[in-house]
Amino acid sequence: MNAAPLFELKQVSHQFGNLPVLKDVSLQIFSGDRVALVGASGAGKSTLIRLLNGTLRPTQGEVWALGRNVNQLKPARLRQVQQQIGTVYQQFHLVDNLQVIHNVNAGHLGRWSLFKALVSLLVPLEVETATQALAQVGIPEKLYAITRDLSGGQQQRVALARVLVQNPLAILADEPIASLDPTLSREVMDLLRSLGQQAGRTLVVSLHDVAFAQSHCDRIIGLQQGSIRFDCPSHEVSETMLEDLYGAPDGAPDGAQG
Amino acid sequence: MSSRGTTRLTPTQVWGLLSLGSIAFSLLAAGLFQQDLVNSDGLPLLLRFFNASLHPDLSPDLLQLTWNSSLITLSYAVCGTVLSLILGSIGGLLASEVWWLSVLGDRSRHSNPVRASFQLPIFWLSIRALLAFPRAIHELIWGLFFVNLWGLDPLTAILAIAIPFSAIVAKVFSEILDDTPRETLQVLLNSGVLPLSAFCYSLFPQAFLNLLSYAFYRFECSIRSAAVLGIIGAGGLGYQILLSLQSLRYEQLWTFFYALFVLNGLIDFSSAWLRRQLGCASRMDLNLKRTSALRSNSRQRQGMGSALFLGIALLIPFCFWYIHPDFSRLWTATTAERLREIYRASQPPDWSIMPQLLHLSLETVVMSILAIALAAVGGLILAFPAAHTLFMPGGILNPHQPFQINSLPWLGLLLSRAVLLLTRAIPAPIWALMVVFVFFPGILPGAIALGLHNLGILGRLMAEVIENLDQRPLEALKAQGAPASLIFFYGVLPLSLPRFLAYALYRWEVCMRETVIVGLVGAGGLGRLLMEQLSSFDYRGMVLTLSCFLLLTFAVDWMSAKIRRSIR
Repeated sequence: MNAAPLFELKQVSHQFGNLPVLKDVSLQIFSGDRVALVGASGAGKSTLIRLLNGTLRPTQGEVWALGRNVNQLKPARLRQVQQQIGTVYQQFHLVDNLQVIHNVNAGHLGRWSLFKALVSLLVPLEVETATQALAQVGIPEKLYAITRDLSGGQQQRVALARVLVQNPLAILADEPIASLDPTLSREVMDLLRSLGQQAGRTLVVSLHDVAFAQSHCDRIIGLQQGSIRFDCPSHEVSETMLEDLYGAPDGAPDGAQG
Repeated sequence: MSSRGTTRLTPTQVWGLLSLGSIAFSLLAAGLFQQDLVNSDGLPLLLRFFNASLHPDLSPDLLQLTWNSSLITLSYAVCGTVLSLILGSIGGLLASEVWWLSVLGDRSRHSNPVRASFQLPIFWLSIRALLAFPRAIHELIWGLFFVNLWGLDPLTAILAIAIPFSAIVAKVFSEILDDTPRETLQVLLNSGVLPLSAFCYSLFPQAFLNLLSYAFYRFECSIRSAAVLGIIGAGGLGYQILLSLQSLRYEQLWTFFYALFVLNGLIDFSSAWLRRQLGCASRMDLNLKRTSALRSNSRQRQGMGSALFLGIALLIPFCFWYIHPDFSRLWTATTAERLREIYRASQPPDWSIMPQLLHLSLETVVMSILAIALAAVGGLILAFPAAHTLFMPGGILNPHQPFQINSLPWLGLLLSRAVLLLTRAIPAPIWALMVVFVFFPGILPGAIALGLHNLGILGRLMAEVIENLDQRPLEALKAQGAPASLIFFYGVLPLSLPRFLAYALYRWEVCMRETVIVGLVGAGGLGRLLMEQLSSFDYRGMVLTLSCFLLLTFAVDWMSAKIRRSIR
């Protein structure tokens, strides 16, 4: 395994206006890690993910990704780094009036020329890759469907297929199952885990559901009001640690029954 | 502005009082209560004119001429629209905030946030400011200018439409792009995609229906402009109408009128039909956040899409072939030399006309206010019977059961729609020529002519607003057993009035620009002076008149936008 961490935060703080969201956070994530970020709403999980994929610039401290200081990069270099980081969102962020294949092919765009991208909108290119990606997420038959006509779970699969086509070193997922029912949640989480395992990809998932964090990840980072409360292997996370994290004794999150 | 200090009035009330005051002032300024306005000698002529509508000239020769002229007008409109859409798309992208944010990076990501917050607006704001100039000058003035440059070439007509329209398209497209949700774009940009590719896979397809819908609306406007341009001699139906009007051949005139109705009606109808098929019913979502909540059968849409694509693919080359504009003239040495000559002739500006300009500016504003007041009131009255969701069987204000046959609503619908079509199909300067049958030339006939033409446009836009109203609150009222009149005053009117006003204010900007074209036929204001200066090659005076007109247009645009924001 690589000795250098894939992601590293060095004493990172972030504020939105006067509101501190992250306070002096330091952590390292190594290649092949499967990390869950847990914590109450507003604990800073989404902000952390946006810092990792270079969307946000920290107010203080340094964010390193793939051995580079993300904040110091020129736009072209930053793009190269970002091509290696795929992100999945709660609100899938697909173009709903395009066919599924174009949304999947959007994963190629970091590498494709503008000309190729335009041609593909008229005559879909690399259909093979897209079909394989959709087969991996279990909906190969939806290749030419209009994205809007898909159910929520299917749309999240399309978003996953887009990330697969992008073929990044790391997958970040920001509450990927928050708008899905428990059964679909399990399927999507299984998918995420297997996609990570296949190519030794690093996985960072923010979750509301601690049960999934314990069952699908091998490391859990607990965030509370912008600070890390604990950062340890999944099996070491105890009931008291979680109660402490969510503030109240009965604060175990909803839907933990899985 | 005296009522600004009081706190009891809402902004809407303040603006309402101010506009009533300005309308009253305008009526006074137009001399409504002072001089002889009506020329009763013209009445027999007017009677003869309307009589001719019953027996238009249908001789084969004239029908042939009508057909050819219609094709010319259609071709001008198609070619002008195509060019303006191409130029406008590029301009729209460059004038949008989201494009520059994507290219230069988000402010929070920028290595120097202060410089970024200064740099970003400069790009798109300066492009937007540049676009304001071609937009403020009416097609007709561009046309007259190009006539001086190239004579009566088809190129003159096409560019006269394409230049101001591409600036308008650019403005609207940039607003549509800026209003489209950006999350998907952001996802692509964050995974290292270059901006233009990212746009092609997110904002462009997301905004496509809105852009397409607006493109159709531009085409409707284009056909009206193409008819107006005939009046400066560019050929087509407008030109033939002017010729027969001047030679008092009313039977021929009505043949051309009917052709114009059919052309306008066909285009308006097919454009509305297409937009409904595509699921984007309203043509301009003023005052509404744009979302792509469009649902219809996608397979049917695809079939529609390819049929539409084929039709357009055939129509465009045909139109270019039919009028064969000579694009090479754009970059010949003669054109460049001619431009230099005009520039030299315009220096130095003739400052002696300043006092006259001030007086004429007031006249122009008065004319635009009266015109929009007439158009708004008339449009409002006709819009309700013209909307098919109110009085028609099954409509929200129809007390009868859907299966009962009642011919009155049908009659109202057809009649009001016919009036709206008639008023908007006839170009404003032609209206002006007819109004001066019975009025002495001046501001008032100009305002009436402009008002009549815009009444047709506004009434149709308003009818569409009514048809697209959220039906649920109205159904709820009806389910409560409220009588039709109460549903109207408690449901339909309050729901639609804000958007009516928004449209009326938007049309006020257009009226301001169009005062020029009724000036052409002597209706006073800056337009008339501009026409005189253009035809006498007085470029030194023209520079000032044009600047003055630009200032007025910007002032009206600013005012209209301010009112629209405050009543939103």
